Order: sequence, then C-alpha cells, then structure tokens
Amino acid sequence: MSEKVYNLEEAATLSPSGEKYIVLQIGPSHPGSGHMRLVVWLDGDIIVKVDPDIGFVHRTSEWLSERREWIKAVPIVERIMLPDTIHANLSYVLAVEKLLGIEPPPRAQYLRSLAAEINRITSHLYGIGIFGIFLGSSTVYMWAFGDREPFLDLMEMLTGARITYSYIIPGGVRWDMPNGFKERAETVLQYMERRLKDYEDIWVKNPVVQARTINVGVMKREDAISLGVVGPNLRASGVYYDTRKHKPYAAYKDLDFEVPVMKNGDAYDRLLIRVEEIKQSIRMIRQILKDIPEGKIIADNIYNQLNPVMKKVYEEKRRVMFPAYMIHLRPPPGEATSMVEAGRGEIFFYIKSTGDKYPYRFRWVTPSFRNLPFFTHVAVGHRLADLPAIYGSIDYFPPEADR
Amino acid sequence: MMELIPLIIWLIQDLLYIVVFPGLVTILVLAIVIIWLERKIAAKVQMRFGPLWVSKRIGGALQSVADLLRFSFQEFIVPEKSDRWAFIVAPGLMFAFSMISLIFIPVGPYYSYLFPSYYTILFSVGMIIITPIFAILVGWSSDNKFSFIGALREAFLLISYEVPFLLSVASMIVLYRTFNYVDAVAYQFRGLPGLVLNPLAALTLLIVMIRTTGRFPFDITEADSELVMGLFTEYSALFFGIGMATPYVELYAFSLIFSLLFLGGWWPAPLYAHGPIMGLIIPGIVVVVKAFIVMALLVFLRAVYPRYRLDQAIRSGWSYVLLLSVLSVLLSFGEVMLLR
Repeated sequence: MSEKVYNLEEAATLSPSGEKYIVLQIGPSHPGSGHMRLVVWLDGDIIVKVDPDIGFVHRTSEWLSERREWIKAVPIVERIMLPDTIHANLSYVLAVEKLLGIEPPPRAQYLRSLAAEINRITSHLYGIGIFGIFLGSSTVYMWAFGDREPFLDLMEMLTGARITYSYIIPGGVRWDMPNGFKERAETVLQYMERRLKDYEDIWVKNPVVQARTINVGVMKREDAISLGVVGPNLRASGVYYDTRKHKPYAAYKDLDFEVPVMKNGDAYDRLLIRVEEIKQSIRMIRQILKDIPEGKIIADNIYNQLNPVMKKVYEEKRRVMFPAYMIHLRPPPGEATSMVEAGRGEIFFYIKSTGDKYPYRFRWVTPSFRNLPFFTHVAVGHRLADLPAIYGSIDYFPPEADR
Repeated sequence: MMELIPLIIWLIQDLLYIVVFPGLVTILVLAIVIIWLERKIAAKVQMRFGPLWVSKRIGGALQSVADLLRFSFQEFIVPEKSDRWAFIVAPGLMFAFSMISLIFIPVGPYYSYLFPSYYTILFSVGMIIITPIFAILVGWSSDNKFSFIGALREAFLLISYEVPFLLSVASMIVLYRTFNYVDAVAYQFRGLPGLVLNPLAALTLLIVMIRTTGRFPFDITEADSELVMGLFTEYSALFFGIGMATPYVELYAFSLIFSLLFLGGWWPAPLYAHGPIMGLIIPGIVVVVKAFIVMALLVFLRAVYPRYRLDQAIRSGWSYVLLLSVLSVLLSFGEVMLLR
C-alpha cells in the first residue's frame, strides 16, 4: 500500500486518454483478466483507478428464462456459474417451490445439502487454483484442478453429470444416492484431508505467498458491509453472516457446522477462509452421510403425478422421471424470493408469476457481481502486481457476474 | 608457409571451441535438455505427464526441438509503430552478448593457452552484465505498454541486483587473489572448494542467478498475469524463440561461473593436462555436469514458489542480498588475513 492516498472522487473524473497516467487495458484477451476488461490508470507502479468493464460474456439468462417454461430455466441458470452449478439450480428451485407452495421431503433436503457441499468444495478449489496461477504458482493451479476430479466423479455418481447437474427440481431431487456412494465419498474426503496438508505446505504457508497477500487488498469491515460484499469475502472482513446459518434452507438447520470468520480482510484471509470452508464442508458431508433419513426423494404432490411406468422406474431405480405436470408448471400468481449461500457468496433470486406458463419477471443477483467493488475501491493505491493478487483472492468469475 | 600451420590449427581449435564444445552446440543441446527437464520436474510435482506428444518413447524430449522448428517457420511480425531496427536487432544482441560471455569462461586448463588472458573473470562478468541493457531496448522498441513496463521492471531489478553480483564475484577474486578462472580453480585444487570457503558469496550468486535469468520467485519482468509476456509481448517467430532461449544461455553461463568459482571447477580431473582429450573434453564434461546440476536445482524452484512483487524484490536486493554480499567480501578479507 502506498503512502499517497488517492481520492476515489478525483479518480472518477479521470479520462481514458489522460496524459499524466499510463492507461492499461488489461483484457478482454489477457492472461490475467478473464472474460472482462480492467482499465487501469497507473501513476508509476501505483494504481490510481480501476474501471472494470464487464459484460463480455453476458448471456441474457434472465431474458431467456422469461420466454421459456418454468422448468427450462434450470439448465439456463446453471450455465452462468459453471464451477458452482448446484447453487444456481437450488436457488431458482427454492423460489419456484415458494410459489408452488410445496415442501420437499427430508431425504431430498439432505441430498440437496450434500450436493451443495460437494459443489462448494469444487468451487473453492477452482478459486484457489485460479489464485495460484495469478500469483505465478502453476503447481497449486494444477493441484487444485486435479483435486476437483474426485469430487466431480462423486457428483457424477450422484447426479449423472460432472458439471451441469440439473439435479434439483421443484419438489425434490432427480436421483437418489446410489449404492456404494457412502464408502466412495469417505475415501474422497480422506484424500482431500490429506491433500489440504500439502496445500498448506506449498501454498498457504509459503513465504512468497504470505509476502504477496498479507495486508494486500484490505477490505475493512464497515466498507464490506456498506459496499454489499458477499460470501467468503465478507466473512474474511470479519462479518459473521452466512445464509446457511441465518436463513437456513435445505438441511442446514439440522447440520452442525461453524462459519469461519477472519479479522483482517486481506487477500491472505480470503485465501484462508476458503481452506477453512473446505474443512467445514467435509465435516458437513460426513454428517449428512451419517444422518440422512430414509424416505421419498420427491414431494407427494409431484409423486402423485407420476404415471405407473414412471412409478415403477422410481421404485426400481430410485430415479424421478419428469411427469407432464412438470413441463406445464403454472405457479399461482405471486412473487417469491430466495437466498442461497453459493461457493462465492449469496445468490438472490426474485421471481414473479402471473399464473402463466412462463415467468413474468425473472431477476437474480450473483455473488461475483456483488464482489465487483473490490476492483474499484480496494485495488486503488496498490501496485500493479497486486491487482492479480486481489482479483484472484476474491474468486471473481466474470460469466457469473455478467449473467 | 610452414609457420602458418600452428596458426591455422589454433584458429580451428578456437572455432571448434566456440561452435561445438562448450559453445553453441552444447548450449543448444543443454537448453533442450534443461527445458525438457524443467517441464518434466514441474509436471511430476503437479501430477501431470508433461510434454509427451512429440517423441513419446523418450518422454517427449524432442518437444523443444519441435518448438524451435515451429518458431523458425512462423511469420515474424514487426509492429507498425515500433522502433523497427531496434526491434529487430535488440533480441539478437541480447542473445549474442550472453553467448560472448561464454568465450571467456574456460572449461579446462587447455583453454588458457587458446585465449591467453589474465582477466577472464572480469570479461565474462562484464559481458553478462551488458545483456539486460538490450532487454531494456527490447521493451522500449516494441511500443507496447506491457513491454514498456516489463523493461522498466528489468531496469529496476538490473540496478538492484548488479551490486550484490559484482560484490560476490569480487569476494572470490579477493579470496583467490586472481582474475583468472584457471588460477581460481587451481586455488580450489590446493584446498577446499569455494562453496566451503565462502558460502555467503555462493548464496548471493545463486540468488542473483535466479533473478537475472528470470526463474521463480523472481519471474517479475514477464509475469504473465500482469504483463502478458513482459518484454516479448509483441514478438513472434524466431525472435520470440531467441528471447525465450536467452535466459537459458545466461543460466548456463552463470552455472559455469558458479561451478568454476564455488564447486572446484573440473576437480576430479587433473588440474593441468595437455592435449584435447585430457585438457579440454574430460574437464569440460565435469564442469558442464556440475553446471547442469546447478541449473536443474534452479529450474525446480518453479514448482515451489510463486513470484515476488517488484518492490519486494528491489527491497530484498538492496537489503538482504546486498548485506550478504558485503559480508561475503568481509569474510574473504578475513580468510585472506588468516591464511597469510
């Protein structure tokens, strides 16, 4: 952090063709930008202003969803946040369930939490890997992406897909837990616990990493609250807020877990908190596997819509085939919101129904979009080399922000 | 006529020395091997296979050759607004000067008769120090902001690590009381290797080597997440290949210097011997193997460390590394006083 303090209001008036500063166009085709552009004003090596230019991967998920049947929005919202698909899926379905007024059975709730926690681990590993390559450590990048694989295999076993699961449907989930899943999950969790030690040795306790991240990109507690930062980045700044604790959904009110909170709010804390959350997720998955109740995986009023063939499939393979009711879903008129703690932070959904077969209004706010203030407010005054450290530490995912 | 024959033999030997061993061909082979080794070591740590597509049977060892061929046949694009001549000439000069430094580095006693100079240490160090100036020229001539920032970073680092480098070499000159590599090796033959005599200077030179050749954690001038490709952002084709090869040539030169000054030179081989076999080839192989081990050690760092920030590197250059090098000079003086 430099001695000189740059005023944000003054910075806002800078023009892109300023003579005093070097204006760098980082992105949209740059190894350190992702699918976005960062216009950076530099005074020597010090960042005076950052203007994140987002929208390069805007995929009109809201527009598309308002012109399709209700159930077809599930794969659309999933494609927006690929490392973290189950949470997009879950948050949408929770809102639809509120409109429909149905409650999934306990086993389905547990399965939802199970899928969400496995997905949270893969999402955090993705973030740690990207952070690694931004700071120049190809080892952590390869390790993190390699260690996602066992979890993706686990999800494939559970849902039949590696990334885009479309697992959660209104009223429950599509597949039950297969035979041998618990044993397989236990080996994967033990493997991950072993690997976390390796990560600590080569990455978390690496002196170069500590030099690059401690006291870099500090988001103060008050700023984090007033700027509306969400998720692990908020908790790294010392705010105890987690939707899973404060507005529990799925099976989280039955689960015993801690919400890790850090103090300093710097890049190192944002790294640590992801490691801690992986540990908590492992703990939760163990509880779920132990405590999961027997029973149906789909709500009764959906189950009653199944025809005899579908019921036979459901009994034999524990798999829900879509009844015609599902595609002609017409929730009663009204509004519904839902909040879900995704890997990167809180997803907020707002849906309005007029009783039509399409949603009337479909709006959602994704965590990456709400973490954008890190670029405009926190990066100012740091050195150019700190920009990748800040970018990597907030686990920003441009397609998710653009929606 | 008859008196010309020794001169012709001398010239041929000199040419062979520069072109074949330990010059150009050796460097090319070593660079290919070390790049392959670097990628394989990193791959081993990172749970991957590394290069395997080209020449699968020998573990993808020819991948670098394939890359070189690809660079050779690529189109070379000169940006419109670049300083055209500087843009074309600078990478070549950068490569050339790092090669020239090798002329002054003997790999055997026989060589001291080929290039009879008493000041080989000074010459080789001087030539290595010149190369970053052309790196700055590369960055300046490209007319690209990323290259420009890369050049500035290179300049800052150049200044802050030059002093420790020269001091660490100077401490060995003080200790050996010579400017000549052969005499320095002879000194180590009589007693202990330089690594034991002055470990501080060895450590300083290692750090400077990592910095100058852009190994991790000092991979600052071409930090890809900040500066795309640093100095060589605008380059393509063979010129890009030269830019990528220059750090390896420098690494080779530095490792030779390190093994001559600190690892006892061609120690198991006899100190003075005549004839091309005992005087050049066998000591040469010993020195090159030692240098190769040093190189392998340094490329392994890539798998462990991320990169430092520019200001952190400069600060450590002016504080810890400078302090180490000053202490190494004092240590050398102390030892000289004691041994006298």
